[in-house]
Amino acid sequence: MRRGVWHQCGDRSQKLVQEQLGQGAGVGVILSPRDLSRENAITYSESYQKAGADVLIDYQFYVPDFTNALLGSYPISSFRRSVSALNKISDQDLITFQNELRADHSALKASAVIAPAVVYEAGRTDILQLNSRLFASAKEVSSDLSIPIYASVVLGRSVTSSDQTMQSVLSQATAMSCDGWYFGFEFEDERIPSSREMVRRCCVAGLTLACTGKPVLHAYAGPMGLLSFGFGATGIAIGHSQNLWKFTRDRWAPPSGQGGGGDAPARYFSRALWGTIVYPDETSQIPAALRNQIVSQSPFCAPVSANLQWNRWDAGKHLVYILAQQYSSMAMEADPRKNANAAIDLLGNALTLHMAIQQNNVFLADDTNAYQGNWKLALEDLLKDGKADFDFLELMP
Amino acid sequence: MPYTVDMSAAIAKFPEYTFICPLTPSEQKAAFHVKDAAGTDLCLKLIAPHYERDRLDREIQAMQSINNPNVVKLVEYTFSSKPGDLRHYTVEEFVEGQDLQALLTFGTIWPTKRVAEFFSGVCDGLTALREKEIVHRDLKPANIRVRPDGSPVIIDFGLARHLALPDLTQTAAGAGIGTPKYFAPEQFEGTKHDIDHRTDLFALGIMLYEALTGESPFYSPAMTTRAQLQQAVCHSTVHLSKASFLGLDPKWQTLLRRLLEAERAKRPADAAQVAMILKRLGGN
Repeated sequence: MRRGVWHQCGDRSQKLVQEQLGQGAGVGVILSPRDLSRENAITYSESYQKAGADVLIDYQFYVPDFTNALLGSYPISSFRRSVSALNKISDQDLITFQNELRADHSALKASAVIAPAVVYEAGRTDILQLNSRLFASAKEVSSDLSIPIYASVVLGRSVTSSDQTMQSVLSQATAMSCDGWYFGFEFEDERIPSSREMVRRCCVAGLTLACTGKPVLHAYAGPMGLLSFGFGATGIAIGHSQNLWKFTRDRWAPPSGQGGGGDAPARYFSRALWGTIVYPDETSQIPAALRNQIVSQSPFCAPVSANLQWNRWDAGKHLVYILAQQYSSMAMEADPRKNANAAIDLLGNALTLHMAIQQNNVFLADDTNAYQGNWKLALEDLLKDGKADFDFLELMP
Repeated sequence: MPYTVDMSAAIAKFPEYTFICPLTPSEQKAAFHVKDAAGTDLCLKLIAPHYERDRLDREIQAMQSINNPNVVKLVEYTFSSKPGDLRHYTVEEFVEGQDLQALLTFGTIWPTKRVAEFFSGVCDGLTALREKEIVHRDLKPANIRVRPDGSPVIIDFGLARHLALPDLTQTAAGAGIGTPKYFAPEQFEGTKHDIDHRTDLFALGIMLYEALTGESPFYSPAMTTRAQLQQAVCHSTVHLSKASFLGLDPKWQTLLRRLLEAERAKRPADAAQVAMILKRLGGN
């Protein structure tokens, strides 16, 4: 697994990812069949590879009976069914499943297989067994194609409700003999995870996986990926859309409305704030000296410097670029503890800056300063309580 | 109770072999050091009539599938039943040397370089098992032979489990067979679903601890019940505060702490990972 930034594709991400790769941002791309037909996936895969990126495909069996027209273009989608139905999958069906998996990975020239898996739930031995069967099947495909196999470890809310339950499920999940982990952690449905306890637990789970000595790809990380190299991740998956900023099954829920955000103004992602600020409504209220401090340059934000109109698409590109720049620079540092401390410093500075903004009687929308303090505390907890884990990581060659 | 067969009776039944001496028997097999007609040293194991056929088949399958210098080799398996003449036995490679049990004694502390070399060999054997999805489940000093050149060989697959196949144990628990002194917590308190390759890593951790400190992490001669040992293995952290442990280099402490974690997710991922670390610690 290549160390650095991976683009997590979602709805209408494909061209954005091409642009980012063109700017040198990112080492890999994770395709989303929910948002891209099989035919287009093959075309884009080739163009991403030409740009030097590795390509993976995440079948997203997290809500296994979810389907849509795009997913329908992948023959493997005939296996999208309820967990109880999947549990009854016959050995013969598994062979067909394997054949489809092999055909897709071969056509995409994928760099590894992400084993399809259902979200882990507490007390569900049937899911443990199902994921183990799906993994064994996918592993044979990876072996046939001579590419690595990554086990999917996506922890559902019922698992992450306590440290003990989480460790118990991780004990089962990590029994799989894989070459890496594709790791997701389900959070409550909020814009960006803000609970100190849940963020700490996510980091603990990631660190536990990293201690296996196998690379960890933190899926659906988004801005929270700032913490990922601090818990020993190898790859961080980011995307422009909010539903790619954390793992939640709502992404696969039937749409409840028109969506799309209507005419909402663009959000400007600031590295210094490690959060967004509404452009131009909020940026214009901030004194120039402070405004200069929050500016983060990217090839996609020229209108902001000139106070010109800026659209949400460019805001998304700017966000991905800034995240990629930050994570790529952290990827150069191999020591997780140093990365955790670097993130703590950045978050501490962000808090100071937020305070300065508030002292100017500007209160940012979107609760954009609601999480930095708790992330900082979560990382500090991790460094203190996870000392034995960090020590063990250092033992590895 | 070990299954024993009188050597004179065995000689009468197996005239094709020259018997050298009896070896330590197990519950399922009587064992003898023999030579074949070509003068090759072998280990002849006569299988007890009560040994379940299914379990034996698994053991044979396990041994046949592995070809690794740190795992004993199966040469022959025979089951023939003629009226009045039941021949049921295995012939294995005879591993010269001695049991690790003789070298891992209370108060004996091994040099760390030797620990690293020897146990990375054990790890190589365990890695070969892992590749075939086999868990030994009874890894202990009596089941590791030490060749004259000092290299280890894992023997006795009587309790091995093939994880890809259904377990043969009928009980719901099914984890607690083997030798308690080298049990992992899941063998005391878990179910058979909790047994995996990291169960063997816990036993490896106990042996490593013994080699490095000269004492057992959990067992003490004052213990009179299995429950006391279980309590120590599953819930005690006293082994982390013993003077002999605290006197070790912090890196060795980190490795031991990890191998002896009650939760499998916190143990090393596999023996290959431990081997890499041992080679690093041993300076190889």
